[in-house]
Amino acid sequence: MGTAKAGLEWHGSTLLRRTVGTLSRGLDGPVVVVRAPGQELPELPAGVEVVDDPHEGRGPLQGIAVGLAAVAERAPSAFVCSTDLPFLHTAFVRRVLRALADGAYDVVLPHVHGFRQPLAAAYATSLAPLAGQLLAEGVSAPKLLLDRSRTLVLDDAALLQDAALRAADPELASVLNLNEPADYAAARARPAPTVTVQRFGVLASGGQHGQRQVAAATLAGAADAVGLVLDRYVLAAVNGDQTGRDPELPLVAGDVVAFLSADAGG
Amino acid sequence: MAESPVPGGYFGRALVVDVSAGSSRVLPLPEQVLRSYLGGAGLGTWLLHELAPTGVDPLAPEAPLAFVFSPLVGTPLTTSAKFAVVAKSPLTRMLTDALASSHFAIAGKLTGHDAIVLVGRAAEPSVLMVQGSEVRLVPAGATWGRTAAEAEAALREEHGHHWQVASIGTAGERGVAYATISHDGRHAGRGGLGAVLGSKGLKALAVRGTTRVAPADPAGVLAAAKDLRARSLGRATAKYRELGTMGNVLALNALSTLPTRNFQAASFEQAPQLAAEELAEARSVTRSSCASCSIGCEHLYRDKGDRKVRMEHQNVSSLGSMCGVGDADAVMAASARCDELGIDTISTGGTIAWAMECAERELLEAPWLRFGDGAALLRAIEEIGSGQGLGPLLAQGSRAAAAVVGQGSIAFAPQVKGLELPGYEPRTMQAMALGMAVNARGADHNRSGAYEADLSGDLDRLSGGQAHVRGAIESEDRAAVMDSMILCSFLRKVFDDPFTEWAALLSLVTGWDLDAAELRATAARIVLAKRAYNLREGWQPEDDWLPERFLTQTLTVGSGRTAELTPDRLRAMVAGYYTARGLDPQGRPVTTH
Repeated sequence: MGTAKAGLEWHGSTLLRRTVGTLSRGLDGPVVVVRAPGQELPELPAGVEVVDDPHEGRGPLQGIAVGLAAVAERAPSAFVCSTDLPFLHTAFVRRVLRALADGAYDVVLPHVHGFRQPLAAAYATSLAPLAGQLLAEGVSAPKLLLDRSRTLVLDDAALLQDAALRAADPELASVLNLNEPADYAAARARPAPTVTVQRFGVLASGGQHGQRQVAAATLAGAADAVGLVLDRYVLAAVNGDQTGRDPELPLVAGDVVAFLSADAGG
Repeated sequence: MAESPVPGGYFGRALVVDVSAGSSRVLPLPEQVLRSYLGGAGLGTWLLHELAPTGVDPLAPEAPLAFVFSPLVGTPLTTSAKFAVVAKSPLTRMLTDALASSHFAIAGKLTGHDAIVLVGRAAEPSVLMVQGSEVRLVPAGATWGRTAAEAEAALREEHGHHWQVASIGTAGERGVAYATISHDGRHAGRGGLGAVLGSKGLKALAVRGTTRVAPADPAGVLAAAKDLRARSLGRATAKYRELGTMGNVLALNALSTLPTRNFQAASFEQAPQLAAEELAEARSVTRSSCASCSIGCEHLYRDKGDRKVRMEHQNVSSLGSMCGVGDADAVMAASARCDELGIDTISTGGTIAWAMECAERELLEAPWLRFGDGAALLRAIEEIGSGQGLGPLLAQGSRAAAAVVGQGSIAFAPQVKGLELPGYEPRTMQAMALGMAVNARGADHNRSGAYEADLSGDLDRLSGGQAHVRGAIESEDRAAVMDSMILCSFLRKVFDDPFTEWAALLSLVTGWDLDAAELRATAARIVLAKRAYNLREGWQPEDDWLPERFLTQTLTVGSGRTAELTPDRLRAMVAGYYTARGLDPQGRPVTTH
């Protein structure tokens, strides 16, 4: 790519910011970024943890091992992904993690568009010691970890049996990563996801109530699309969840964004 | 006048009227007391500690009923024309304080008293007239049996329009446990203060100002008033001006925080029909405001009979979504009828919603009473007002009614300490859950506006913890000051540094050298004084708790996340609250009043 992927611009935000924001929205547990030695990271939202990878150049298994170890005492499973998945959808994350929930498998491995996706997969955090052991043996690719684990492979059809994912990401663009400048340019040229925006209360004055469909990759983008500024008087909630005004909060296709007066209640 | 110099904005005395004897006495209010409790709800709490016999029945003649003014009343500061009514509640049997506003506050204070306290019981239905220190009882006559608004109008017509009147409706006469006291269409609504006034044989308290009160720094107050007025017209209050509190309905519905069908759901599919965004266009709306207010939050909607009906978020949530009624005309009619009878819309709606669920579960023999039935809602209100049918049961409030019905119905009675919950769902607003659990008045959104913390974006509103404790305490403290000095809570967002700015305002009025730290200490003192009063009256640790429904049934918000408030989580928040408030592990003040 020629430049650090984490800091690549993405609709006024960065790729890494988008990825961790999407994971935060899709999960209840901690979100951890594994940082390579000396790596500079773009600004991250509050609550995202950064752990340092003590070794450089050991390949993706190293990052998986460090990340799983970082959350092993707090979560039984983790969704592991690279930073360069700008179209990752929360529905994809939930679909993959859900397949791990019953304990029958250690890994849920999407096999999409003809490729295995170990960096868009769910892992039992109990695999951290095995991953460490493989690294000590000089292994750097995830393949052996997958082979030695109880791995469930989900192909396109299996993934799309999930109605929510089928509606939100029918092309399974969630796994599209960016390896070359051309990939980035092509991805950047795609339209922002379509989301539904609704203004409430005083923000709906002048006939502005009712739902509108807009293209927006971030909360700021959605606000801008309907002529709002995320200042102290405005709050937003995505899909009826938490309220906030983080302009870089990533939006994904199908989101419903509510804008409301910051002075709710009374 | 007081015998010794008093701080600006005060008279330094309360008038205590024995209605039985038709006599009165002056109770001096030392400066230390005024500085410690300010006025309004705070000073009212002090008065109750001083004047209420321990364990008194709320409707007994000896039970005091205090109308309390504040140092800011009579100044040009916007929204300051407010008064507090404080008593032991017949609904909760603990302290209740409710605020109302407008000209009664000014005239009442300008009788030359910081509070007017009523004890005793008139031999016949009467109206108490207070003009300066002159007190007289006149027969209620034909006003008895009439609505509060009719009584107010009749009394002013008879005695002159310089009199200001706080009156009860027929519900107060009948002792409905959540009857209100009304003035100029506003209500001191929560906790049954109207029943307390009615128990004294009084239809109304009429006041006429006879004196003046001066702030310590008139020029400074005038400048501050101009500044505050200008700020009150900005975006921080736009919601109240443009739509009123009804502007909350759809937003809270979208956040799964709108109580629906007695808290069996948190969003109401018919909410758009009840929303200000829709009604404002369909119903010719007019606005009005209290005396001395530049916000003008009051929005009136025309019902199908072309009557102007005042609508608020709390009316819509309690009489609409809580009862599953999406017919705007039915909700407006219900709201208007509550106003006429003089009953609290929140407790009325909560109690009826509980009864609807009881009826649907066949715990109550009332097959006509069903969620979603606007006619049934109106019938239930009429029965509460008339004492017919289910009226005597429902007039007690949901906690007492559940004790009669039994069969586990207390688990879904929507109340804390006997006070019905306002229009906020505690499972999806867990700072508010704590606020409602521990507040002295019961489940309450005025003395604890912790919903602000939940909606701030600074914490996860579905996962209560110590951040929520801090949010709830901050909210309680702010309310304690605003309700005591008094300024309308709708003004709260115009203050960037509230305690500092409030201290400055109070300093200008009183002449005291107040700062934010002292005012924060005052807030904590007021909150703890209320708790101490409740403790004296029999409060138990289990009173700081939520009904079983909220702790055993989960909700799902729009994102698919589950909202669960476990007993352990609530217990941890309550414990955190006790620690932060300096209470012992059972919630008792280490030092009391």
